[in-house]
Amino acid sequence: MTGKARQPRLRDVLLEQVRVTWLSLRIPSLVGAGLAGLATIVALPTMTRGGPLNINGWPTWLPGIMGALLPIAVWGKDERFGPGFLWTLPVDRRRHAFTKIVAGWIWLMAGVAVFLSWLFIMVAVTGEHVLPRTINLVVSGVPPVGLVDPATVRGVPWDPGPLMRLVAFSGATACYLLGSALVLGTRHPLRWVVGLGLLSAMTAMVSQPLSTEFGMGWLAVAPGRLMELVVGSRYGLDAVLTARSETLSTTAKLISGESLRVWWGVPDLADWGIATVLWTGFGAIALWAAVSRHGERRRV
Amino acid sequence: MINGGDSGRSGYAVTTHGLSKRYGRQPALDRVDLRVPDGAVYVLVGANGAGKSTLFKVLMNLERPDSGTAEVFGLDTGWSGPEVRAGIGYVPERQDAPHRAMTCARLLQHASTFYPEWDHAYADHLVRSLAVQPQRRVGGLSKGETRRLQLVLALAYRPPLLLLDEPTDGLDPVVRRRALGLLAEHLADTQATVLVSTHHITELESLADHVGVLRDGKLVAQMPRDELQRSVKSYQLDAPDGWAAPPELQPSGLRRATVGRVVQCTLVGDERGVMQQLAASGAVVRQVIPLSLEDSALAFLPEDPS
Repeated sequence: MTGKARQPRLRDVLLEQVRVTWLSLRIPSLVGAGLAGLATIVALPTMTRGGPLNINGWPTWLPGIMGALLPIAVWGKDERFGPGFLWTLPVDRRRHAFTKIVAGWIWLMAGVAVFLSWLFIMVAVTGEHVLPRTINLVVSGVPPVGLVDPATVRGVPWDPGPLMRLVAFSGATACYLLGSALVLGTRHPLRWVVGLGLLSAMTAMVSQPLSTEFGMGWLAVAPGRLMELVVGSRYGLDAVLTARSETLSTTAKLISGESLRVWWGVPDLADWGIATVLWTGFGAIALWAAVSRHGERRRV
Repeated sequence: MINGGDSGRSGYAVTTHGLSKRYGRQPALDRVDLRVPDGAVYVLVGANGAGKSTLFKVLMNLERPDSGTAEVFGLDTGWSGPEVRAGIGYVPERQDAPHRAMTCARLLQHASTFYPEWDHAYADHLVRSLAVQPQRRVGGLSKGETRRLQLVLALAYRPPLLLLDEPTDGLDPVVRRRALGLLAEHLADTQATVLVSTHHITELESLADHVGVLRDGKLVAQMPRDELQRSVKSYQLDAPDGWAAPPELQPSGLRRATVGRVVQCTLVGDERGVMQQLAASGAVVRQVIPLSLEDSALAFLPEDPS
């Protein structure tokens, strides 16, 4: 018998992966829902008193963190390297991996949407906005050091616009691509994360003494500059995750003793757009390389 | 390699050409030329680590060979992996099931998505016959229960080729018999080709029609079972002191035991020709003993060092 067996349709594979991925995400979703419930209970007294909900500290990086961690839940139970069940199925291995990645991404977008909806509802109940409509801009345009004189700060009206709502989605997507690349490209992703963290910490510790020892001044500032470039620069990670609303603002202490969130720049959606293209592109390339490790075992 | 029986290249469900694979310095497959005729039940025999599972993985395109090619129904397994896998029912050597949080029923539903030919009624029949409990969680199954589930997963879409790596391993005798009965039923219904590795050749004796022997990654013999049993025999000889098997028989001399002047040899070849050569060497053949399929195949494997 030599009859050619039929392969599944890609649409069916995707739908099934969406369903199966949900099974992997049930517990993390329940934990998330529990935490959101807890936060609602904590905020309830403020909300019922009609007072403004302090949303300055809302975790703007949370969608990004969700995106970075989600691949662990999506792929955690699969034998990514080796003859795992997934790879025995009659679907091109690279295509199958991407299908599963897309399935996870669909749930990520749903999760971010639910999170943002919850946040908007919580804030809307108190008549506030998630993002401020007036920002306290430091006139000098540089980050303040020490106590801030209120005279050096002026209120500037700001309309974040509807595009600002996409920031959480794009940030989560970029982080999800990078996280998926790490999970699919390495056998032990957590070891890589811990290793890179330790390497960064050690580099920061030894760069100062080494620069003194060998007279290389640049070495002392190199780790900080690199971190600034990756995270806080114009097209850094914060630009894609928060449109730089984190790295352009801080809670400063005024000379009057009050605390005030001050800004030394207005978030620029053009910068966010470029950063999104750069980081998403980088994530997509990294992911392609990682998925290629699992491609069909062809000999060239 | 002792190769018997067939000629030409057409009519094979599985062929490999010079297939080699190493893990570090350890050869897992060494220039293997496998020929599994279409519709045959080909039993692959070999000690642990002989390369049987590696061969199956190469056929599933789960492993890339270092050299050589493998074809399933004429399709190169490297270049047509998905098409090849669509026609294969695979029971892996390992008995760890995927998606441990799923119930068995959900896992079967999941698998059915990937095989358009999935036969739900037949799958239900297999589930009942192999006493798979649909509501049990996969992660809670024992080795034997997992094996039963793997058999359902492999058979339920009636694939034209079954790759069964120790399929009855971990099954109790009752279920083992039932599983073999289902396999026989399956073969009668589908005319499928089966490539099966096993340490229990006797249980497949009624199904097997071809046998291959892997030894240290080399395919040292492959032939139809009748030919194997016809050509591998045990010869009981009276031999003079210092007798040695004639040089022309030595390459096919598999085993030898000596008790006093009586020598017992397992030899491969046409019985009449072997006897003539033995007589010419001064030995007197007292008895020619036919071997069971298992003994014929095991004769190609190294003897127990003990």
